[in-house]
Amino acid sequence: MTAPAGRHDAAPDAPADALAPVRAELIRAARADADAVLDRARADADETLRAARAQAASLLEQARRDGARDGAAEAARERVRARQDAWSRELAARAEVYADLRGRVRAGVREALADDAALRARLEERARALLGADARITAAAGGGVTAETPGRRVDLTADALTDRALARLGARAETLWAP
Amino acid sequence: MSAPGGIEYTRVRDLHGPLMVVEGVSGVGWDEFATIVLDSGERRHGLVLEVNRDLAVVQVLEDTAGMDPGGTRIAFSGTPLRIPVGTGWLGRVCNGRGEPADGGPPVLGPVDAPVGGAPINPVRREPPTEAVLTGVGAIDVLTTLVRGQKLPVFSAAGLPHLQLAVQVAAQATCGGEAFAVVFAGMGLTHADAAFVRDGLAERSAAGELVLLLNTADDPVIERLLTPRLALTVAEHLAFEEGRHVLVLMTDMTAYSEALREVSAARGEIPARRAYPGYLYSDLASLYERCGRIRGRPGSVTVLPVLTMPAGDITHPVPDLTGYITEGQIVLSAEVHAGGTYPPVDPLGSLSRLMRKGAGKGRTREDHPPVAAQLIAALARAREVRELADLVGRPALSAIDRRYLDLEDAFLHRFLAQGTDENRPLDEALDRAWDALLTLPPSQLGMIPAALLDAHRAAGDDHPGGEGTPP
Repeated sequence: MTAPAGRHDAAPDAPADALAPVRAELIRAARADADAVLDRARADADETLRAARAQAASLLEQARRDGARDGAAEAARERVRARQDAWSRELAARAEVYADLRGRVRAGVREALADDAALRARLEERARALLGADARITAAAGGGVTAETPGRRVDLTADALTDRALARLGARAETLWAP
Repeated sequence: MSAPGGIEYTRVRDLHGPLMVVEGVSGVGWDEFATIVLDSGERRHGLVLEVNRDLAVVQVLEDTAGMDPGGTRIAFSGTPLRIPVGTGWLGRVCNGRGEPADGGPPVLGPVDAPVGGAPINPVRREPPTEAVLTGVGAIDVLTTLVRGQKLPVFSAAGLPHLQLAVQVAAQATCGGEAFAVVFAGMGLTHADAAFVRDGLAERSAAGELVLLLNTADDPVIERLLTPRLALTVAEHLAFEEGRHVLVLMTDMTAYSEALREVSAARGEIPARRAYPGYLYSDLASLYERCGRIRGRPGSVTVLPVLTMPAGDITHPVPDLTGYITEGQIVLSAEVHAGGTYPPVDPLGSLSRLMRKGAGKGRTREDHPPVAAQLIAALARAREVRELADLVGRPALSAIDRRYLDLEDAFLHRFLAQGTDENRPLDEALDRAWDALLTLPPSQLGMIPAALLDAHRAAGDDHPGGEGTPP
């Protein structure tokens, strides 16, 4: 009785594991796939990062530009506001000086009228010339006179005379604030 | 503006509304200016509307509210209103009768001038030349404003005419020569008045602006004085001080309504839509005060703004204005509804004196042909659009579709402008080329070939610049 010959002869040539190449190939393919996916992922990540950086740089640049523009606009507005404020203050100061001039001239005219009887007589004469000899002439509290006839009146008080004189002064009053 | 050392009248027979009837007067004439002193010492002002024997009817500028007939005195100045004129007005903000609204002293000047003025003697007129650049592309390119011209803006309620007027007033220049702007606001709401003051703050701070603001709640007769004051100030700045002066007057319809109200108070016979029969000559007495005078430096250019009630261009105010002025800038509700500012209607707008202020040696050599070609192309585009409404866009020829593209480019690349954007003329003209070159060269026959070639070569990178008829 002998054992079948093929059984002992075939054994040394047979692969240890017939599925090994398949397994190896599958592993290689899987690794290659994994590498490819990884590469793609890396590339995607790089691209995303690059895009994000580019976007960040562009946003930063835009923000800088916007900021510079807003800053320039705000500075321009501020400059205009400052010039306006300065001009308003100058105008207010001019108004104050002009009012002061009026006050001083009024005081001067009042004083002159209080001291000078001849001046008052001239005012009365002027009032009669305007309204007629029958005009009722009254001395005004602040100096000067007013004269009245029915329906008409002439104001030659210190204040009225001052106002008219200042109005006639015109641009010469600007010497108060002209450099 | 004050009464001379003369007689004050104390017999006030009647007070009703803004009118005061004074009796016992002598030697008083129509349109004389009057100063009224109340019992309290308060001063008001008035104009003589009517004189009959010893009776004078005075319209009180500040209204008669609170006045006691027994304690009121009226002094007549002997002349119509006169105001001091000079450079003292520059940088000032005043109400409609020239009194300071900026906290400053009264405006002073070396000489007085009557606000009624006198239109320029035609024999001494110098024809307008040279442009006033507004920094608004649509106006500078298509309806160039010329020094000494009168060019109204025709608008309608709800359109941004005040914004445009303020933008022009803030930006206008005269090629580096001495320049000033006089802005007369009539019948403005307080919000509008504040908008004008804010918008022109920079120019005012630079001492190049005179601002006269009559608000809607101010007396109507003051509204009649406001443009006259503005023109009187402008005439002196121009013809005595040598500046080029741009006078903006808005809203002339509010002015005309004030004229109608005063005319009714005077008992005059009403004419068209109850406006007085002399509306034409009254408007002419304002508009004709612009111009240039032979042998004098400076110019007065007038840009009145008026709103057409219900958008009706045949209404007496735009109608009569159109007879006097030299063209018009029409604002369109349709363009405004499309969201484009300034909503200028290019086909309704025209500057009759544009040829005198545009072209070689004045603006740019290509300016007149570009403007003419653009208007012609837009007219064709409008016809094409009407055709497209009937037959549908796909049925149009390729060239016709180009015209629709041109209209689109015109609206978005040429006309549209920021409200604070001061667009240089060169940029505005380049944008006009940009719009025109959406058409193939065969359609640009009004532009000299040399100019066209030069611009096509310069604009080769333009997508439409290569255009050939498909």
